[in-house]
Amino acid sequence: MASTASTMKPESGIQPAEKHPISFWDRYNIGRILLYLALTFGAVVAITPFVYMILGSLLTRGEMMNRKLFPKDPVAGLQNYVQAWNEANFNEYFINSVLITSITIAGMLFVCVLAAYAFARVKFPGRDAIFGIFLATMMIPETILLIPNFLIVNRLHKLMEPIGLPWLNNWPSLTIPFMASVFGIFLMRQFFTTIPDELWDAARIDGAGHVRFLVQVVLPLSKAVLFTVVIFQFIGSWNALVWPLVVTSKPDWRPIAVGLYSFISEAGPELQLMLAGAVITTAPVLILYFFTQKQFTEGIATTGLKG
Amino acid sequence: MAQQSTAYVPSGRMTGARKRAIREAMTGYLFITPATVLLTVFGLFPLFYAFYISLHRWRIKKGPFLGIKNYTKALGEPVDVLWFVAGVAMLFLAWFIWRNMVKEQRPWAMAFKFLTVIIVLVGGWAAIAGFGKMVKSGDKQMFEAFVITVFYAVGVVPAQLGGALLLAVMLYQNIKGKDWYRMVYFMPYVTITVASAGVFRAIFSRRPESIANQIFGFLGIPSQKWLQEPHGIWDLIFGHFGVNLKEVFVSMGLDPFLIFILLGPSLALISIMLYNLWVFVGYDTVIFLAGLGSIPSDLYEAAEIDGANRWQLFRHITLPLLSPTIYFLTVITVMGVFKAINHVLVMREAAARGTVDTASLYIFDQFYLSTRFGYASAIAMVLFVVILTLTFVQNRIAQRRVFYG
Repeated sequence: MASTASTMKPESGIQPAEKHPISFWDRYNIGRILLYLALTFGAVVAITPFVYMILGSLLTRGEMMNRKLFPKDPVAGLQNYVQAWNEANFNEYFINSVLITSITIAGMLFVCVLAAYAFARVKFPGRDAIFGIFLATMMIPETILLIPNFLIVNRLHKLMEPIGLPWLNNWPSLTIPFMASVFGIFLMRQFFTTIPDELWDAARIDGAGHVRFLVQVVLPLSKAVLFTVVIFQFIGSWNALVWPLVVTSKPDWRPIAVGLYSFISEAGPELQLMLAGAVITTAPVLILYFFTQKQFTEGIATTGLKG
Repeated sequence: MAQQSTAYVPSGRMTGARKRAIREAMTGYLFITPATVLLTVFGLFPLFYAFYISLHRWRIKKGPFLGIKNYTKALGEPVDVLWFVAGVAMLFLAWFIWRNMVKEQRPWAMAFKFLTVIIVLVGGWAAIAGFGKMVKSGDKQMFEAFVITVFYAVGVVPAQLGGALLLAVMLYQNIKGKDWYRMVYFMPYVTITVASAGVFRAIFSRRPESIANQIFGFLGIPSQKWLQEPHGIWDLIFGHFGVNLKEVFVSMGLDPFLIFILLGPSLALISIMLYNLWVFVGYDTVIFLAGLGSIPSDLYEAAEIDGANRWQLFRHITLPLLSPTIYFLTVITVMGVFKAINHVLVMREAAARGTVDTASLYIFDQFYLSTRFGYASAIAMVLFVVILTLTFVQNRIAQRRVFYG
């Protein structure tokens, strides 16, 4: 337990391998060149689809028809973005996705922080058993939950429509079921248990209860793990396709992944427009990734350390 | 935590401590209430509800009670299912005897060896014969969906983990710009699935100038239909050399379902598998890198002093100490394959004629397109049992192979 606890700290996620035995590769330069070649080849494979996506999205219709690969006039190609944006109605979908993602993350943080804190630091009978049941639900694949959850949401829709909170085609069905993320609770609990008991003792002596200790001491210490959980939720919400497809029937609350999916499959657009749409939907996540990529990858790396 | 709580209680120690314990417990229950309610409603109860749905005719609205009819429709005659289950159970039993009796060199080891062989033969026959009959009387398309899922898993898991491990080990050699490489490798994972799958749809297009055809053409492989190719990979390869594999199998009098398996995954499915690799190799690399970082370097130094070479270092230090990470990634990759739906939905072409429909996608089609809620739930329950069995097997293997340092 102690070793996993220490590895949960994000700083210790990935370290440069200064002390690592490197004599072989250092002595033989040809080996090192091959190493870089292989790594670069991997990077090229990873990046080619992005390059293709961006180049293709800037081609004019004629260039696409003539099987060109490079746009002659990229600035004119920007017209594709305007056209894709309007044709696919991305305006609405974009706002929807931002709203859905924000509501989910806010609710998820509230629900999961409280639960994780209780499982880590509050003593109550049956705590470990309940936590075990929580973890066991992670084993149930979403495919199995899809149909019953659809019926449950339907029932809730009928129940709550009279009081002005319809579920279908509305934000509750898209956000509330995802607020109790067991994975998030698990990650946060792992971190909360590593916070020294002395801090709690000191807070107690100052007259603080659990709520104040949580808000004033635990949360400021847990920024990294909270960030990781938020990132995962963000990717999950922005990516969601099947569930939103099932619980929405009109564009009012459909997120951007569904918008792009219907743009691709129903409209059957020209390729350059489809690629422009792909760039538009991907851009927010990639931009976020570039600005936070160190915390991002290291946060995700820590999740794998608990085998 | 317990001792200090009594420190500043002037009088009534017991009652004060008890009161505090009760208040503490109340706080705990209060804190987990939102999560528990949500998880019960949307995570746990639906499992039982799905079973309930699967026992009914349920097309949008609940219909009459059917009992196990949905299951027999999917899996075939109950007798055949029993044969199959009994066969599999016998194989497990044989494995158990082998492990506990033969390998431990107990007395009568020879006799037990003999017994094991007999059980394996009988059990294997029962399982295969039962399964063959199940396919005949059950839902052939569903069985094909499961075979497709297995193809997918078998193709993806070793390649993905092997590739990622290789990249991680290479990146760990004091590489300049290591963070850059890692950042690039990880990009596919953060890209929106629908967007990247859409891009791959264009890359694996049947047009002769598509990226896939150009790259493989460069390697001397003729232009392919990729995502629109329903023919199995072995069929295509043998067909290229003028052998019609399918006709050979038909002339041998093989069962159509067996032929379906023997012809291999369709090229369309392989294209989707390549997409899957593109997305997840980088993710696995990042996790492997973290695992490598947690291996203490003095182990390597000690082994080097003992004269171990690079391969020995990798085989006897890196691999065992990385086994928990390998296990973790195997489990989530297998789970991921059984859940695979979003990208398959985007990359599926009508011309692939259902050869890319994984189990999850088949359930989704039955539910969403055909509105057979009851039947779809029955298949979902079957999928659940399959996943549980797989996880159990993986766990047993892990118990013996995974080294938690």
